[in-house]
Order: sequence, then structure tokens, then C-alpha cells
Amino acid sequence: MEFGTIEREIFVEAAPEIVFDVVSSPDHLKQWWPDDAQYEPVPGGSGEIVFGDLDADGMAVAFTVVDAEPPRRFSFRWTHPSGAVAASGNSLLVTFDLTPSGAGTLLKMTESGFREMGWEVALLEHQYQDHVTGWDFYLPRLVTYVAKLEARP
Amino acid sequence: MTDDEIWSAIGDPTRRRMLDLLLTHGGGTATSLAQQLPVTRQAVAKHLGVLDRVGLVQGAQSGREKRYFVDDAQLARAAAQLSSVGAAWDARLQRIKRIAESIQRTQQD
Repeated sequence: MEFGTIEREIFVEAAPEIVFDVVSSPDHLKQWWPDDAQYEPVPGGSGEIVFGDLDADGMAVAFTVVDAEPPRRFSFRWTHPSGAVAASGNSLLVTFDLTPSGAGTLLKMTESGFREMGWEVALLEHQYQDHVTGWDFYLPRLVTYVAKLEARP
Repeated sequence: MTDDEIWSAIGDPTRRRMLDLLLTHGGGTATSLAQQLPVTRQAVAKHLGVLDRVGLVQGAQSGREKRYFVDDAQLARAAAQLSSVGAAWDARLQRIKRIAESIQRTQQD
């Protein structure tokens, strides 16, 4: 097991252009991760992603685009101190590599920087709740519930 | 002891190899580990000291040498933290897949 990096691969039945858009555009990002996202999806584009409600106990986290090569690669750094230049040692680096495969796309995600920025800090940053977690929990239950209703005579 | 110390202890490739060997053989001494690694007994002893300090291994005197064992609970705690980050990404990637595939279907219609 490599302890400094997290790697995942998933096959998506959609064209690389579509997958690139979903992993890179702020509007799509907030559908699968934070509650809000503001940044330009171009190299050097920096901004923030927001978890929760900023007026309550929400949190804004710095986000800087490193690489944007449609439709092959999108990478960004996050969790660096607001206002600081994102670099190795102060942030986590997430890279999406897209490879055309049959009628779809092989999407590879790598997150690194845990060891460089210190494990305790890095893992803490991951405590932000994905706003969608609730849906992941409830949706399958809802589907089961509906199926049960339909099964009734 | 902080999580940071655990992770920097586990971050070193030689120390990870030592943990592997200790797990495989159900324990070992600085001498037995040095025989299986390209480093000196002194270096192994030093690494064991680091692992001992963060609680990843525990030593028990056995004759002239200390015999070390992996602390399963502490190792599991470290592994669980990393796998929770991995699980969060698994969920995000599933959502990315769902969104992209529904856009693809819309465009085909």
C-alpha cells in the first residue's frame, strides 16, 4: 500500500469531453462535492470551494487550478491557506486523467500531498462533509421504499 | 502522540518494509530484520525506536535482544484514516459517473 497517495479508477459511459466538463467546471463540481464553487477552470485560476453555509458554521477552502488540458487532464490544489500560492507542502494535489476507452472514458483520480503537508492537517481537511453524503444515504433507501410500494398488490 | 507522528513513522519505505516483515513473521529482532533488509542492524534499531515511540510496534525483552511485534490496533487506526479518505473519493467518483452518463444520454436523445 502506498501511504502518500490515493488512487482510484472508474469507467464512465460518456465521452471524454463530457467527463472533462463534469470534473472541471465549478457548476458541475458542486453537484458532486462542495455546496458552492467559485474559480476559473483554467491553469492558475484560483478561488474557493465552500462546504456548508458560510453564515452558519460553513467553511471556505482555497482551490487553485494547476492544469486544464481538455479533454485529457484536469488538476487542482486545495486546502492551502487562503491568499497563499498553492504549492507542494501547503496543499493537496488532485489530478484527473481521462483516457478514451471504447464508447466511454477511463477516469483516473490521484490525490497526493498527504505526507508533504503533514498527515494530521491533511486528514483534517477531509473532515468537511460532502453536502451530497445525505443523498447517497437516502436515495438508495428511497428506491428500495418505492420498489416495496410498487410490489404491493 | 499525534496522528502526524504515526504517519511520518509509517511514511518511510524501510519502516514500512519492517512492518511487513514483522507482520509476516509474527515479530522479530533488530538482528533478524537486518538480515532481511539492505540496511545495518544499527539502522534497523533506530527505525524500530521510531515505530516503538508512536506505538506501531511493541518490544519485549527476549534473551539478549528485544523482540518486536506490530501493534495491530494502532496500525488499524492508521489504515482506517486513510481508507476513509479513499471511501469519500469513491462516493465522489460514483457521482461524477452518474452525472456524466446522464448528460451523455441526454445528448444522444
